[in-house]
Amino acid sequence: MAYSDKVLDHYNHPRNVGSLDKQDPQVGTGLVGAPECGDVMKLQIKVNPATGIIEDAKFKTFGCGSAIASSSLATEMLKGRTVDEALAIKNTEIVNELSLPPVKIHCSVLAEDAIKAAISDYKTKNGVAAETAQTA
Amino acid sequence: MDHEHNCWQCGSADAGSLFCRYCNSLQAPIPDYYAFFGLPRTLSVDTDELQNRFYSMSRLLHPDRFTRRSEQERRYSLEASSILNDAYRVLRDPIRRAEYVLKEAGYEIGEQRSKDVPPELLEEVFELNMALDELRMGDDGVLPQLDEMRRRFLEMLAAIDAALETKFQRHDTRPDDGGKAEVLEEIKSALHRRRYIRNLVNEVDRQLSSRNA
Ligand code: FES
Ligand SMILES: [Zn+2]
Repeated sequence: MAYSDKVLDHYNHPRNVGSLDKQDPQVGTGLVGAPECGDVMKLQIKVNPATGIIEDAKFKTFGCGSAIASSSLATEMLKGRTVDEALAIKNTEIVNELSLPPVKIHCSVLAEDAIKAAISDYKTKNGVAAETAQTA
Repeated sequence: MDHEHNCWQCGSADAGSLFCRYCNSLQAPIPDYYAFFGLPRTLSVDTDELQNRFYSMSRLLHPDRFTRRSEQERRYSLEASSILNDAYRVLRDPIRRAEYVLKEAGYEIGEQRSKDVPPELLEEVFELNMALDELRMGDDGVLPQLDEMRRRFLEMLAAIDAALETKFQRHDTRPDDGGKAEVLEEIKSALHRRRYIRNLVNEVDRQLSSRNA
């Protein structure tokens, strides 16, 4: 299957690969896996506690090109957004941006799940767990 | 499993499964592995007994014994011999056996390449991938870590196998209409998990040996 130019670009030049300090209270970590293919994705955000703005985001994905591109794009989208804005990110935005074919939609879902998991980890660490647990 | 049928040769009803009890002609082989061996559909199987049956049936069904018999019987003996070999290969192995029972009962078991990620394993799978990455980049420092992970995965496999054995017995002792399905469901997810971990071990082995090559 042919990857779109945007996927290839992210795949060949992934943005924000790496990791942040998991123990840092400002950092939220999301680790998710795709049951269909066994791919795993780790995505981390670093939030400025004063502003609630995501100042940094990193990822490391072991998986297909679309999963790598989706998580790479996700980290770009996250930076500069508030945590609540970040929660609103939908996998369909990733699908559109990368022109993912239907068989690769689950790869973008994985990225959305990773964002949600990272945010919920951040909130848990910072004592806003109860509120998210109810809305989830 | 109902395999009462009329003998193709003499027409007698209730001819018996392998050879007709009246005219002794070889019957069309029953494709179901358990029925073929005349064994009850249990997940625990006495493999010594299975082996005995396999040897005696191989002798009875050997195509050489049918060279002077009718064309129909020659064909049946070929078919039967091939079912016999398949059935033996599957039933003597607990994992293949369980997969067979599940499949015949209509459960979907994943393809070879489908790998369900057990959520509690995510962390380790991620670590494993990291270590394999480093190994590919030539860092032998991760070798002890990989060995350790491999050992842990093998332990998990052993634990799953032990748990499966218990589940087999639970399955076998339950009545057909009372809770077998529930145990089969458990067995299915144990098999998926097992396959996933097995793949991880294979992956480690593959990368270690390609590094030595
Ligand atoms: S194929 Fe698994 S995440 Fe893309
Ligand atoms: Zn007969």
